Amino acid sequence: MFNTIYIEEKAYEYHITRQLLHKYVDSEVVTIRHYKDVFNRPKQNLAVQKRYPSLILAVKDGQFLYEGPVVCQSFDHPNFYYTSFLLNCVFDCEYCFLQGMYPSANIVAFVNVEDFKEAMKDLLHSRKKVFLAVSYDTDLIAFHNIIPYLQYFYDFFASHPDMLAEVRTKSANQAFYNDYQPLKNLIIAFTLAPDEIIKKYERHTPSLKSRINAVKAATARGFSVRICFDPVFADPEMEDAYKEFYHHVFTQIDPGSILDVGYGFFRMPVDFFKRIEKVRSSSLLYAKEYFVKGNVVSYPEPVMERIKTEHLEILEKYIKKEKIFTL
Amino acid sequence: MVLLVTALMAEAVPLIEYFKLKKDMGIHAYAVYRNSDIALIVSGVGKIRSAAALAYLCALYHVTEKDILMNIGFCGSGSRKHPLGTLLLINKITDMDTGKDYYPDVFCGRDFPKESLRCYSRAVREDDVSQGTDIFCDMESSGFIETAKKFVYAHNIVILKIISDYLEPHYLNQELLKNYIREHVPMVESIINELKHLNDSTCEFSFTEEEKKAFNDICRNLHFSSSMENMLLKEMKIAKLKGMEPLNILRPFMEIKACSKAEGKKLFEEIKQRSKLENV
Ligand code: SF4
Repeated sequence: MFNTIYIEEKAYEYHITRQLLHKYVDSEVVTIRHYKDVFNRPKQNLAVQKRYPSLILAVKDGQFLYEGPVVCQSFDHPNFYYTSFLLNCVFDCEYCFLQGMYPSANIVAFVNVEDFKEAMKDLLHSRKKVFLAVSYDTDLIAFHNIIPYLQYFYDFFASHPDMLAEVRTKSANQAFYNDYQPLKNLIIAFTLAPDEIIKKYERHTPSLKSRINAVKAATARGFSVRICFDPVFADPEMEDAYKEFYHHVFTQIDPGSILDVGYGFFRMPVDFFKRIEKVRSSSLLYAKEYFVKGNVVSYPEPVMERIKTEHLEILEKYIKKEKIFTL
Repeated sequence: MVLLVTALMAEAVPLIEYFKLKKDMGIHAYAVYRNSDIALIVSGVGKIRSAAALAYLCALYHVTEKDILMNIGFCGSGSRKHPLGTLLLINKITDMDTGKDYYPDVFCGRDFPKESLRCYSRAVREDDVSQGTDIFCDMESSGFIETAKKFVYAHNIVILKIISDYLEPHYLNQELLKNYIREHVPMVESIINELKHLNDSTCEFSFTEEEKKAFNDICRNLHFSSSMENMLLKEMKIAKLKGMEPLNILRPFMEIKACSKAEGKKLFEEIKQRSKLENV
């Protein structure tokens, strides 16, 4: 249930809006001119909004697809792009870069899915093959019961095999894997972390056990599954937890059923980090000292190298080296 | 602190009585009433007067983002959707001169009806709007929120309007209006309490007065540069977030006065070492 549903005047005519109004009949509804009038207001308190999130239904215009940022993994695909049907997320990860990117914790949902498809077609036309991340600024699968975007795009992906889509998720929701047939060009990328990290940093997200069950459900149905160990924290207290965790994951999940693995340390653009440091003033994560290289805050190279070597040594027992992508 | 703005004295009286506010005799530009936690200002009618009065109060009391700013007053209603005397919580304001929309975040008063409000520069009558439309009109809200949004969090801006008439402002009875407010003051208080509770539940980091004083004394006595000050502040913050006592880092250095910047630098390194030991 949302605190308020804000609806752009021009969004009323779309199917998603009608569905949601039908579903949330008791919600307060406020008509707005442009989503940015609400989303970009000054002095929004993100912590309070996270507790009582509002939904903003908007019609996306301008740019629909963006080139993949350097802090994200391309998995060796030359034409790496991302898109956002949703801005913000139902989960509340302490390390989430969205807190530094947006002035609001309210969720914007774009209702003009057909326009996104047109933009994707245009991109495919000029680039021929595209790797498209569709769940970077959100968790689409966690939102699936509210707006089933994957259902809306399923036929499009099915008929455009040159568009390789990646849906990143921490959700344990298995509805999509049960209701749909796998597609060769649709990758479900599960982010897994030790339970200690989940408890410490990934508020409202499912436990490791539930996520592993979702991975098993997806692989059993034949979906292409990527496992992401990202972000990894260089925390001395966590070193043993990580080692046990990797063994645990691959005793639960058949490594042969996995497409590949992504691995990356906690990292963030400097300006996002500075903004979050203010917003999350009580967070130890943002109070600590980091190393800044270029425009990115992360750990010192030697620390990352040491930990990565140790972790890869374990991972390579289960997954072939060339299937592990690090950043 | 809670700052209340009403346009009219008739709107203010029941609030002054309920919250036992006393007139601040030192202020002459406006009628300001207050107790230790609440201040009320009577702005006069119109959005510019409301904006000016609120700005005056915010500057006077050095308002921070966690303070609560509330506009309480009457509005006219274009339809009979709600009975006269209904208290509305406003979730959108449109300034009818500029066309600009404003949105407070409404997280309190779950049981009260929420409505959008139009703010006009002059009193609106029945003939000015299409018959029976669900529009609610006042003359202060856009000025109030234009100022309020500069000072406090969007959820700490509260606009409460009581329906005084169905766009027949000439029939208003002063005693009846006072009674409408009087009836709703306990609800105003419960909304204030809800918001205070919400604000207290968001844990924003701060140092105690004692910690701030110790930090300032040390930085001054040891001639720290601003980058050294920032580093020290960070060490103290980490200690506190880890549940330790940040003053433990500083204590051995509190009585020392450095004779030169070089000596200060040496002492700074010692503090850092000590902090590393404390913060493991
Ligand atoms: S799941 Fe991803 S998008 Fe959602 S809060 Fe966590 S890091 Fe952010």
